[in-house]
Amino acid sequence: MSIQKTDVVGEYLREVELRLSGLPLLQRHELLADLSAHIETARERGAYSDSEMIEVLQRLGSPEAIAAAAYWEAGPQPPRATPTPPPPPAPRGGVPPWVIFMITGIFVVFLLGLGAAVAMVRVSDAPAPAQDMVEQAPVKPDPLPTR
Amino acid sequence: MTDVAQLASSLRRGTLEFCVLAMVEREDIYGTEIVRRLGEERSLASTEGTIYPLLSRLRRVGWLNSKWSESPAGPPRRYYSLTDSGRAALSAFRAEWTSFRQTVDRLVGTGGA
Repeated sequence: MSIQKTDVVGEYLREVELRLSGLPLLQRHELLADLSAHIETARERGAYSDSEMIEVLQRLGSPEAIAAAAYWEAGPQPPRATPTPPPPPAPRGGVPPWVIFMITGIFVVFLLGLGAAVAMVRVSDAPAPAQDMVEQAPVKPDPLPTR
Repeated sequence: MTDVAQLASSLRRGTLEFCVLAMVEREDIYGTEIVRRLGEERSLASTEGTIYPLLSRLRRVGWLNSKWSESPAGPPRRYYSLTDSGRAALSAFRAEWTSFRQTVDRLVGTGGA
């Protein structure tokens, strides 16, 4: 329970921090310290459960709203530090490797089966499989003539 | 709905900081307490987290001083106090606001009486 609570708060602070990359370092740290102290104070006052903590965070405002206020109050920054849009969150999860492995496996088995079926059809259709081998031989590319 | 929210936010902008200065005028208050008191004012309807960047700016322009201090229980608190230039800014606002409010009241018809 306590771990989950920390997760909510930690994720919230990370989301805010992600959006502050255009601010000077010290202002960024100052704001995060203020928010942490705010959250810690709320916890001291009895916001113990997850739902209470989420309520505290909702009153604090969305990471977007806080970042917008931070940029507004910071005023125009030197070009080097122009607010950069937050990077899109990395896709979480995605397809687990074992699923890809399984699909590949199934596909390979399918191909093998298809190959076997084709071979059997060929065997029954073509009376002289040896001829195929003979015909294929000349197709092999000749090595480049050396001069 | 959005228009109403925008109106409130436009009115708040430029006045909220003086509410903060007035709050700190008589006694030093820590940030979370400033945020809590402002949060109780329904007509200000400010998102709590946006007050901290405001406090940061007021400190950077030299109207507020801040210092961290241990609290009897819980995390350290950042206490804010009014500087001399903050005091001057507040009194300039008070004069400006009074005539501003009277003019708007007269023009918009909100003066009562």
